[in-house]
Amino acid sequence: MKKHIAKYYPLVPVFAAYLVMFLIGRNMSGMWQLMGMLAFYCALGQAFNIFLGMTGYVDFGYVAFLGVGTYGMAIGITRFASFEGLGIGIIAIGFLLALAMATLLSLAVGAVALRLRGAYFAIATIGVNEGFRYLIEGARIWNGSEGIIFMADMNQAFGREMASALSTFWADVMVFIIAALAAVVTIYYMRSKIGYALTAIREDEDAAKVMGINVTKYKIIAFITSASFAGLVGASSWAIKTPYVFPPEVFEIHYTIEAIIIVLLGGAGTLLGPVVGGLIYGLSKYWLAVILPGFQLLIFAPLIIIIIVAFPEGVIGLLKARVNGTKYKIIIE
Amino acid sequence: MIFEQLAGNLIQGLVLGAIYGMATMGLSLIFGVLKVVNVGHGAFIMVGAFITLWLFTTFGINPIFAIPFAFIVGMCLGFFFYYSTMKRLIKAPELSTLLATFAIGVLLEEIVKLIFGSEFRGYNWVVGKVSLGVTVLPMAKIYACIGSILIAVLLYLWFKKTRAGTAMRSVVEDDEGARVCGVNVGWIYALSFAIGIGLVVASGVLLTMFIPVGINPYMGGAYTLKAFVIAVLGGLASPYGAFFGGLVFGLIENGSYTLFALLPGVEPFALTRFLSFVILLLILLIRPTGLLRAK
Repeated sequence: MKKHIAKYYPLVPVFAAYLVMFLIGRNMSGMWQLMGMLAFYCALGQAFNIFLGMTGYVDFGYVAFLGVGTYGMAIGITRFASFEGLGIGIIAIGFLLALAMATLLSLAVGAVALRLRGAYFAIATIGVNEGFRYLIEGARIWNGSEGIIFMADMNQAFGREMASALSTFWADVMVFIIAALAAVVTIYYMRSKIGYALTAIREDEDAAKVMGINVTKYKIIAFITSASFAGLVGASSWAIKTPYVFPPEVFEIHYTIEAIIIVLLGGAGTLLGPVVGGLIYGLSKYWLAVILPGFQLLIFAPLIIIIIVAFPEGVIGLLKARVNGTKYKIIIE
Repeated sequence: MIFEQLAGNLIQGLVLGAIYGMATMGLSLIFGVLKVVNVGHGAFIMVGAFITLWLFTTFGINPIFAIPFAFIVGMCLGFFFYYSTMKRLIKAPELSTLLATFAIGVLLEEIVKLIFGSEFRGYNWVVGKVSLGVTVLPMAKIYACIGSILIAVLLYLWFKKTRAGTAMRSVVEDDEGARVCGVNVGWIYALSFAIGIGLVVASGVLLTMFIPVGINPYMGGAYTLKAFVIAVLGGLASPYGAFFGGLVFGLIENGSYTLFALLPGVEPFALTRFLSFVILLLILLIRPTGLLRAK
C-alpha cells in the first residue's frame, strides 16, 4: 500500500507550488491578479504537456481548444441566463459545454491529423486552427467576427455582485483546480500502461508499432485529454474572467507558442516542468512588462533560441539528471 | 457580367499566384534540403517589403533593383541564422526547429518594429497600366509577375546546370548517400538555407510591387499560412511544385472570393481563407506528395 502511494509522491512539490501561489495571492494585497496569471500559464503548460510532452508531437493549433472552450462557456451563459433558479448551475452547464466541444473538436482533429507525422502534423494543426477561425467568421457562426459579449447576461444570471466575484476571484480559483487536476491526470498516465505506451511512441513510433502497441489509440487518448483540459482553461480563464469572446483573440497562435515555451522551459514530459516553466515564463513576462514595456518579445525571442540550442531538456530535465540516485529522486518527476 | 468579373479576377489571381509561388520556393527549398519547416517565413517576406519601401522612399530606387539587393541581404541573414542557430538543430526533434524558426521570425519583427515603428506604410510607384478588357493590370504587377517567373527559371537552371545545384538535389534525395559520394553536406545545408532565405526576402519585394500598401512589421503572419498551403499543394519539398502550387492557389483564392461574394449573409474573405485550409487538410491526407508528383 505504501509503495502504491509512493508512486504519487512527485505530486507533492506540484501541489505545494500551487498552494503557495494561492496563499500569496490571498494574503498579499495586489498579488491576486499576478497569481491568477501565473496559474493560467501553469495550467496551460500542464494541459499541453499531456500531449506535447508525452507524445513529442507538436500541435501548433492547440489554442483552438481553448477557443472552443471559451465559446462553450459563452454559449452556456448567454443561452441559460434567462432561466430562473439555475443560479451557479449555469457555470456547471458552461463547463460541460466547453468540455464537450473541446472533446468533440479534438476527436475530429485527432482522427484526421494524427495520421500525419512530424512537420506534416504541425502544418495540419495550424490549418485546423486557422480554418476553424475563418469558418466561424465567414459563415457567421456564433455571431461571426462580432463575437459574443455576455457581461449583461452574467449580471442577469448571477446578480452584479456575484458576477464580479466570479470574474475577479472564482475564475482564478477554478484555474488552480484545473491545473491541479491536470497534474493528477498526468501522473496517473505516467504510472499506467498509457504512459509507457506514449514513451515508446515518443522514442520511436515505428518500433512501438512493431511491438504491438496500438499507437493511434494512445496518441488519441493523450490528444483528447490534453484538449479537454484546454477547453476548461479557456472556459474559466478566458470566458468567465473576461466576459467576451472574439474569434481573432481566442484563435491567436501566440498562445500556442507560449504553451510550447512553457513546456520546453520546464522540461517536456515531466510532471513538475510545466509548473516551473509557467512560473518562470509568467514572472519574467510580468517583470519585463514593468521594466521594459514594449520590449518583452525582443528579449524573449533570442532567449528562446538560446534555450532550445543549449538546454533542450528544460529546468526539470536538468534537475532530474542531478537528483538521480539521491533521496530526492522520488519527488522530482 | 459575373463571368467577366470572374475572368478578371482569375487573371489577377494568376499574376498574384506567380508571385505567391515564387514566395514559397524558399520555404520548399529549405524543407527539401534541411527537413526544417521555416515557421518564421512571413517575417522574411516582411524584411523584403521594408527593404523595398526604404530604398524607394529614401533613395528613390526602382523596386526592380531592390530585388537583387534583397536577395543578397536575405542570403546574409540566412548564413547568419544557419551558423548561429540552425546548424546545431539539424538532428534535433521537430519541436526545436519549429520553435527556433518561429523565434527568429519574432526577433526580426521586433527589430524592424524598433527601427521603423509599427504603423502601416505604403508607397506609390507609378508606371502606367495595361487594360485587358475584363480587368486592368498596373505595370508594376506585370513586372512583379515577370520577375517571379524569371527567378523561378533561374533557380531551375541553377539546379540543373551547376555543381552546387546538383549536389543540393542529391542531398534532397539522400543525405547519407550524398555524403558518401563526397558532397560537403554541411556546406550544402548552409547554402540551401541562405538561398532559401534570399528567395523569400526577394519575394517580399515582388509582393510589395503587387500590393504596395499595408507594410507593417507584423504583415508576415498571413503569408506564412498561405505559404504552408501552397507548399503542401506542391508537395512541400519541391521548389517547382511550390511555384505551380502558387499559381493554383492564386486562382482558387481569387476565383472563390468572387463566388463566395454571391452568397448572402456570409463574409467572403473569411470563407476564402477557410477554403484554403480545407484544401490544405485534404491534400495532406489524400496526396501528401503534392498535386504534381505521383509517388
